[in-house]
Amino acid sequence: MHYLLDIPAMIATSYVLGFLFYGFYRQYNARIQRRWGPSIFQNLYDNLKFLFKSETLSHGPMFFFGPMIIVSGAVTTVLFIPFLKDSIWLQGFSQHGNLILIIYLFVLGPLGNALAVGSSGNPFGVMGVTRGLTRLMGLEVPFFLGLALVMLQYETVSVHAIMAAQSSIGEWTLVTNPIAFLVILLPFIASMNAAPFDVVGAPQEVYAGPRVEFGGRFLGVLMTQNMMLSVGKLVLLVDLFLGGATNLFILIAKAFALFLLITSISAVFPRLKTEQAVDFFWKVPLGLGVVGVVATVWLQ
Amino acid sequence: MTALVKLLFLAASLSPAATLLVWDGALAWPLFGDVTLLFDLAPLSAFFLLLVALGAPLAAIPMLRDDAEWPTYALYALLLVGMQVLLLAGDFIGLFVGWEIMTWSSYLLLLRSPRTTLATAQSYILLNLLSAFALLGGILVYYSLTGGFAIQAVADLGPWQGLALIGPLALAFLIKVGTVPLHLWVPCSYDEAPDTFSAVLSALLSKMGIYGLILLLTLLPGGLAGGLSGGLGGLYGHLLDGPAAGYVLGWIGVITSIVATFKAIAQEDMKRLLAYSSIAQVGYITTAIGVGSSLAIGGALFHALVHTLIKLLLFTTIAGIVLRTGLRSFKDLGRLIYRMPISFFGVLIGIIGLAGMPPLPGFASKYLIFVSLIDARWLLLLAAMILSSTAAFLYCYRLIYAPFLGHANSPQARTATEAPWQYLVPEVVLMGLLVALGLFPGLGVRLFVDPVLTALGLTPLGSPSWGELATPYGGYDGVVVMAVFGGAFVVVTSLFFLLRGRMRQAASPYDLSYAGEVPDETTPLHYGAGMGRELRRIPLVAWILGHSTQGLYAGLVRQTQAAAGLLAGLYSGRPQVWILLAVLVFAAALTVQLLAGGI
Amino acid sequence: MALPLTPIWFIALPLLLAFLAPLWARLRLLLPLLFGAQVVLLALAAALVPAVRQAPLLETIVIAPPLGIHLHLDAVALLLVTLFHGAAALLALFVWLDEGVAHLRGPRPFVLLLLLVAGCDGMVLTGDLFNLYVFLEIAGVTAYALSALHRDRAGLEAGLKYVVIGSVAAVFFLFAVVLIYLQTGQLNIAAVAADFAAIPAPMQVLIGLSLLVGLGIKAELFPFNFWVPDIYQGSDPAVASLFSGVLVKAFLFVLFHLAFLLLADPRVAQVWLMGLGAATLLVAETVALRQPDLRRMLAYSSLGQIGLIALALGFTSEATTAGALFHMVNHTLAKLLLFLVAGLLIRRAASARLEALTGLGRQMPLAAGLFVLASLSVLGLPPLAGFASKLWILTGFAEAQVFWPIALILFGALLEAGYYFRWVKALYATGDAPVARGPAPAPARSAYLPLLLIAALLLLLGAAPFLLEADLVGAAQALLDRAATIEGVLGAQP
Repeated sequence: MHYLLDIPAMIATSYVLGFLFYGFYRQYNARIQRRWGPSIFQNLYDNLKFLFKSETLSHGPMFFFGPMIIVSGAVTTVLFIPFLKDSIWLQGFSQHGNLILIIYLFVLGPLGNALAVGSSGNPFGVMGVTRGLTRLMGLEVPFFLGLALVMLQYETVSVHAIMAAQSSIGEWTLVTNPIAFLVILLPFIASMNAAPFDVVGAPQEVYAGPRVEFGGRFLGVLMTQNMMLSVGKLVLLVDLFLGGATNLFILIAKAFALFLLITSISAVFPRLKTEQAVDFFWKVPLGLGVVGVVATVWLQ
Repeated sequence: MTALVKLLFLAASLSPAATLLVWDGALAWPLFGDVTLLFDLAPLSAFFLLLVALGAPLAAIPMLRDDAEWPTYALYALLLVGMQVLLLAGDFIGLFVGWEIMTWSSYLLLLRSPRTTLATAQSYILLNLLSAFALLGGILVYYSLTGGFAIQAVADLGPWQGLALIGPLALAFLIKVGTVPLHLWVPCSYDEAPDTFSAVLSALLSKMGIYGLILLLTLLPGGLAGGLSGGLGGLYGHLLDGPAAGYVLGWIGVITSIVATFKAIAQEDMKRLLAYSSIAQVGYITTAIGVGSSLAIGGALFHALVHTLIKLLLFTTIAGIVLRTGLRSFKDLGRLIYRMPISFFGVLIGIIGLAGMPPLPGFASKYLIFVSLIDARWLLLLAAMILSSTAAFLYCYRLIYAPFLGHANSPQARTATEAPWQYLVPEVVLMGLLVALGLFPGLGVRLFVDPVLTALGLTPLGSPSWGELATPYGGYDGVVVMAVFGGAFVVVTSLFFLLRGRMRQAASPYDLSYAGEVPDETTPLHYGAGMGRELRRIPLVAWILGHSTQGLYAGLVRQTQAAAGLLAGLYSGRPQVWILLAVLVFAAALTVQLLAGGI
Repeated sequence: MALPLTPIWFIALPLLLAFLAPLWARLRLLLPLLFGAQVVLLALAAALVPAVRQAPLLETIVIAPPLGIHLHLDAVALLLVTLFHGAAALLALFVWLDEGVAHLRGPRPFVLLLLLVAGCDGMVLTGDLFNLYVFLEIAGVTAYALSALHRDRAGLEAGLKYVVIGSVAAVFFLFAVVLIYLQTGQLNIAAVAADFAAIPAPMQVLIGLSLLVGLGIKAELFPFNFWVPDIYQGSDPAVASLFSGVLVKAFLFVLFHLAFLLLADPRVAQVWLMGLGAATLLVAETVALRQPDLRRMLAYSSLGQIGLIALALGFTSEATTAGALFHMVNHTLAKLLLFLVAGLLIRRAASARLEALTGLGRQMPLAAGLFVLASLSVLGLPPLAGFASKLWILTGFAEAQVFWPIALILFGALLEAGYYFRWVKALYATGDAPVARGPAPAPARSAYLPLLLIAALLLLLGAAPFLLEADLVGAAQALLDRAATIEGVLGAQP
């Protein structure tokens, strides 16, 4: 009974926060570029429009299941991330999961979708998938290393336990282990599909990308999952580094602060090619991570 | 007659299972002197015997489809005997006997394939014999240290004695496992072996190396149970929270998996890709063995189990594709999903497991290994392992995209039919096993892993319920993950259908948004061959792909041949030279002996 | 009529039969008699086992030693004699059953084969240096004739070369015998051994080296074995199998027997014998890597095994000696099988070249299978006999904490694998090159009987080496126990 309320609440929270955040992002970007941006609800409108398109082209069963898998993956991921600390609400199934599982769940959906892309028969889509997987290979190494620093610091992989250990600002991981945060920051931006690592999604310039064959309702579904998953990632970082949140408002505030940071960084950097991005991840954030490991693990 | 032979063969393939079930008590077989073969079933070997018992019949069923070739069947039965002898052996001589029978019977099986080249055959047998002889050398060192052949922990061992003991044994097992730079024989032999036999090579034979490595750790004073003060840690000190020597082993494993993963991505041939993937996966296990903690060994065993199932599944499925199309290169296949749907699911389950995605058990084992690395505070190793584990997604994707999705690239791929039932039966069984193990990792731990850990003196991992995989660092519940994902999938799909609007099927495979043009049959639409090529623009990957150990081995062979040629010059056919040499040697020896005699 | 079971029959029976060869030829009894004689002698050897286990048998001829001539049958001699007759019986059976080896079925080869085995027996049994020389010459001369039996260019060349090098060896040996006689006035080996220490040291060295060179040439040790491949290549494979399986073993035994007996402290010779053994092993195995001719490859492989045996015998510990004797047995069996199978293959392909044999395994599966089996035994892979004996040798070294021979032996085995498996691969290759086949039909199925028998023996000895354990250990002790041998012949010394 509890789950019946909790699960829709989590999904709804992530969805609402998702379109609001992305609406804000478009506004914010526009202002930086001295334009009048769209309304903050524009992403909601776009999404609903797509979802109610009258016609959708499909390339066979596997093509159909791809978007379903990716949304299921997003929902599953969100349900395994505890949104609040010291609360029975917005917990989903997070008691049955852990940080490593969540990191893998992040990529579960996109991999499912990659099957659909392949099934469509469009080589550009497959190229996009390859780019995405290549970037994933680059970003995951420093990202995981940073998270491992955190896991080692608290000697647990449970998000709950990590959250519970940070009871005051002084105990936030951001404060106690800033190097871990620095290590994951840039890979995190990439995992959010944000500039300068957004060549995979190729929103404007590059015609080809994983989504080239998806239209109509499929595109709406893909957009939905992207917004939900982004919120999930933000919440996870809030849980890990910013001490979590005891109620929804604090959660929104912290997640928003994090989002603002990421948006600001991505607004001012030009896009990198995939290989450049990978090489960058393996040099700068990973190098920083190695320094972090030496400093915090080896020298103790 | 044929049916009878096949029936006998099937019965032989069940012999490991029979041994596992009915074996009780020890058996001794004297050879000579104090060399006596002891056979007994310890929990560790029982675990690996279980792998053989599972794998042997499943790999045998596809072989039934071939024309009844009694040499193949006989050699396969012999191979199984070898593996059983190896695993049952309670002493090193028995282990060696099994090891060698396994080696040469598998070599002769390899020769059954018409594709096997001389270079492959030679690299297979020579490296495997090097492994065997290194093993024998290590055994003799062990014998000189302890005065016996029974497998048990050495009581007292100095660092140098330890090196003399560990060195040859580790070399032997690492060759079998196929770690870089000793992996030369793996890709070519897995590739060129008879299609139905590759599964055995990858799934079962490589596990014997794993068995050896774990066995090696139990030999050291204190063994695995000694924690940091015993085993490798006791011998060579420790680094952070793990044994220092294990750290070296860990890097060997991880570098192996990184190199093999990138090589796998660059392959054009399905079986060769799987071969490299095998090397990479076994590399993880090697790393875990290096850590040597309860979590790590648990992870290693679990991964060995999972990898056995996955590789049996994948090699069998690929063998089915090759059987039906006669093609094995990515660029020739495509769009088989409609022609071979069950095979598609086989590969799909296989790659999900290979990529270590939840909820399949590949994740459970990797999870244990990751946690064990965090526990040992070896984070750099962890990062390196993540690299290969993430890069594996690329070859996994290629493995399913190029044959099954995209566009059919050859007439054979357009007209192929589903693999015969002899291939499908093991595939379905394996898929079922993998899904079950993914649902119930806790049960897997309880049934297969914990007994071994207890016997090795390690803390069992324990599992609160069938579905839950628990570690001191936290765990997860496979049933919940699967249920949540499945539930979400059902709900999402139903909701999707409730939305307004209609679905339209694409009129033809060429109904694509293709840069504003209309593609047709002549347009190169299949991306199977080129995938991953752009990775070479990344400096590290380019470096790895640009180097190979082949040159090293070729040089070695050249030098040996040159030496042989030089020495062969002595064996000229001229009697006067023989006599001259004999007299000269006589005179020289006389002089030397008289001078040295101090006269 | 009760014929006494004495060792003299080992020499007398073949000689008797050989002299009556024309009669047997007339009666068409040559082949059955060739086989029967060996079987009878094998049975005789078996019958003597219980007696020899008690004490060595001394068969005095005319006058008691040290003045007279005697045959000395101890455990090691019995082992070798049994081996020789076993091998010869198997070969005779093969010649009888396989009609393809026509030139081995006449009266001449009948005589030669009998004399060869008798000579080898004599070398092993005799207790007298001059008799030893005589038997050595008997075996040598019959061997020259046997290798030229073929009467083609290669055969005659091999025979001639063999005569030349064999004479050189005989000269060295005779020189040593003469020197010994001049120094000690004795020819009885035991008596010589007792007095050997009294000879001046430089003379000891001269005698020792002459013996080493003379017997080294015959026993195919490294710097003296350059003739071997030519002879083996030129001879009929069946004859080569006898050279490799019987003749060399006899010479090797003589070399080590003399070394152990003459020297009070065998460690003096140890460095020479082990060094020569190691060099033989290493050089032969390396050279074999590039041989394109099957018979030559087998010759080099045989050299490698001889080197291994010499290395193990030279170490003079009981375990390695027992292992080496066991390895002699296994090597004889395996090489017999290899050469005989090679003969079948070569006859089929009308060539011994690697290219000509390619793919033959699919036409002659049984022959190829036997070739593989014998190869595995030579390589020392379980569960075949070669493994057990190699393991025995290796544990002997490990017990003594001496590791360089272990490394050498294992390395040699690896090199050996390098060329054996090249041939195995060739046999099973599916080359698309058209293969020219000789006119010869497939051999009769019954010809495989002796081959299968050898294979079964290899398997049996590999799985159950304990069957021979007591005999081998006894033989090793007999070979190493110098004092007991001298005492047994001369009676207790004051």
